[in-house]
Amino acid sequence: MSRTLNVIRLQLINRQTFIWVPLIVLASAVLVSVLIYAMIPTSDPKYGGGGQAPLWVFFAVGMSAMTMTFPFSQAMSVTRREFFLGTLITAVLASAFMGVLFLIGGGIEMLTNGYGVNGYVFHLPWLWEAGPLGAFIVYFALALFFFVVGFTGATVYKRWGPVILTIASLALALILVALAFLVTRLEMWEQVWIGILDLGALGLALWGLVVVALLSVVSFLAFRRATP
Amino acid sequence: MIEEGKALFIQIAEQIEDQILDGSLTEESKAPSTNELAAFYRINPATAAKGVAMLTDKGVLYKQRGIGMFVATGARQTLLTERRSAFADRYIDPLLAEARTLGLGADDLAALLRERAVAASASEGNPA
Amino acid sequence: MTAVIEVQNLTKRYKDTEALAGVSLSIQPGSIYGLLGRNGAGKTTLMSILTAQNFATSGEARVFGESPYENPRVLSRMCFVRESQKYPDDATPRHAFTAARLFFANWDQALADRLIEDFQLPMKQTIKKLSRGQLSAVGVIIGLASRAEVTFFDEPYLGLDAVARQIFYDRLIEDYAEHPRTIILSSHLIDEVANLIERVIVIDKGRILLDEETDAVRDRAVTVVGDAAKVDAWSQGREVLHRDELGHVASVTVLGHLSGAERAEVAASGLDLAPVSLQQLIVRLTQKAGAEALAADTQEVR
Repeated sequence: MSRTLNVIRLQLINRQTFIWVPLIVLASAVLVSVLIYAMIPTSDPKYGGGGQAPLWVFFAVGMSAMTMTFPFSQAMSVTRREFFLGTLITAVLASAFMGVLFLIGGGIEMLTNGYGVNGYVFHLPWLWEAGPLGAFIVYFALALFFFVVGFTGATVYKRWGPVILTIASLALALILVALAFLVTRLEMWEQVWIGILDLGALGLALWGLVVVALLSVVSFLAFRRATP
Repeated sequence: MIEEGKALFIQIAEQIEDQILDGSLTEESKAPSTNELAAFYRINPATAAKGVAMLTDKGVLYKQRGIGMFVATGARQTLLTERRSAFADRYIDPLLAEARTLGLGADDLAALLRERAVAASASEGNPA
Repeated sequence: MTAVIEVQNLTKRYKDTEALAGVSLSIQPGSIYGLLGRNGAGKTTLMSILTAQNFATSGEARVFGESPYENPRVLSRMCFVRESQKYPDDATPRHAFTAARLFFANWDQALADRLIEDFQLPMKQTIKKLSRGQLSAVGVIIGLASRAEVTFFDEPYLGLDAVARQIFYDRLIEDYAEHPRTIILSSHLIDEVANLIERVIVIDKGRILLDEETDAVRDRAVTVVGDAAKVDAWSQGREVLHRDELGHVASVTVLGHLSGAERAEVAASGLDLAPVSLQQLIVRLTQKAGAEALAADTQEVR
């Protein structure tokens, strides 16, 4: 157990990776968004997707956790199980950190009426339907999701090679397209939208966590025989 | 210093023996430790230890518990005796072989030997 | 004395090559072993499998009596920094050593600090931007300061200049003398490490060619030079490793220890004796094995 904890410490030795870079990226995205909002001449509330920027950082971090940190952990004589668990826990902690930042950002936006320009990056109404806790879970789930997708993709790549990864991605895409086709044919889009709206952002986030769990299982199975 | 084709630990032992023979390592003085030898010759400490062990077996070195290895009394004499009997194998046989190649007979050799030996002891006696 | 590493018939097959072909050996604790061989001979593959970084196709490898795979009891007592080791993105040597301190129970920071100074390693520069020699220095420092019971050095000298290499050998001897452990040093600079290693394991094309005490191998071969006819006559019935000819003069390297009498006999017949360095011996053995394999293959084809 202590060795797994040490893996968490290992991941956090370089504060930049999980903390500073996402933070800086987020801050920059907010800054840019606010500047743009300030320039739009309308008094209606403005919403933007600047909050997604750090999510892509998490995707990249998930990938390099596998491609670079894993080989190093092997030199540190860490078992695969310890590394996997420790890294996942670190991702959970970092995602929670992101969630907290999101809440703080939302709070600031509420207090300042959108930075005085009625522009919002964090407090997007749909995400806050279920209240602050819901918003936290949404952003937490998003960050974790992006990390795990990057990590799983990299694991599949290291274990089975680029060809299999491409095939798997294509297969996934095809399945989604097939589902969309099916829904169109059965003219069920209305039900689908109503279903989504009923779920709300929180519901989707929770389903996202289920996907995260599934991907984690896949990547662990691939990981057990991965070579650095 | 270290030459090829001969077991390393034997070479280390011989180096120490040379030092005892030429007087730079006197009897009852402290011999270099295994680690010192290893560092100096840049060899594995275990190899150095083997060389020291060989000398201990021969009675040339002995161990004082907690202090280290020392040169035994009478070590020089032991080595002299040993080297003298090996002298013929080590130096004279190759000498004879080379002499044969050059066509020098036993008498020629004896004359040369006497001549050079006299010259050598003369130059040792004279100041440089 | 129970072996610290036991390998039985280890085979590693890739699609169309055999990186290891039925390797068996055992490593005793508390010695420095030399794992010598050409590039691609199987040295890194063997060490990777022993540290569970790679997997065997067949055969068995046991460290401290157990299988190393997913075995923290065993793995935590080993250290293997490979020749092209990857480090986390944007990590500096400082980060790498902080990490090593977390995982190696015997980590000696004082030794690490001393080595950092010896190698003049810039601690705040990202590892990505280090020179090849500095990158090797990071690996060497981790290997030495970890004081792991079983430490592998995978061609640690790559990029290190002669001065740095000598520093490494000196520090290795010094630390090994005070803290004996099992060290496996893979190298193809044989003559440089010849005086450091107690046992020689030569691996070529995935097979073990030699597994002996260094001193036993050191006088295992001799080169006889002189008149070609005389040399050939003398080498009749002996295992010839290599033969060179220039005009009437032939130089033959034979396997076998010559007694004092035999040496005298050679000198008497007007031939010269030259010693064979460990590197030369291993090179010749490897070449001979290669030629024999080629002949065998040609036979099979026919």
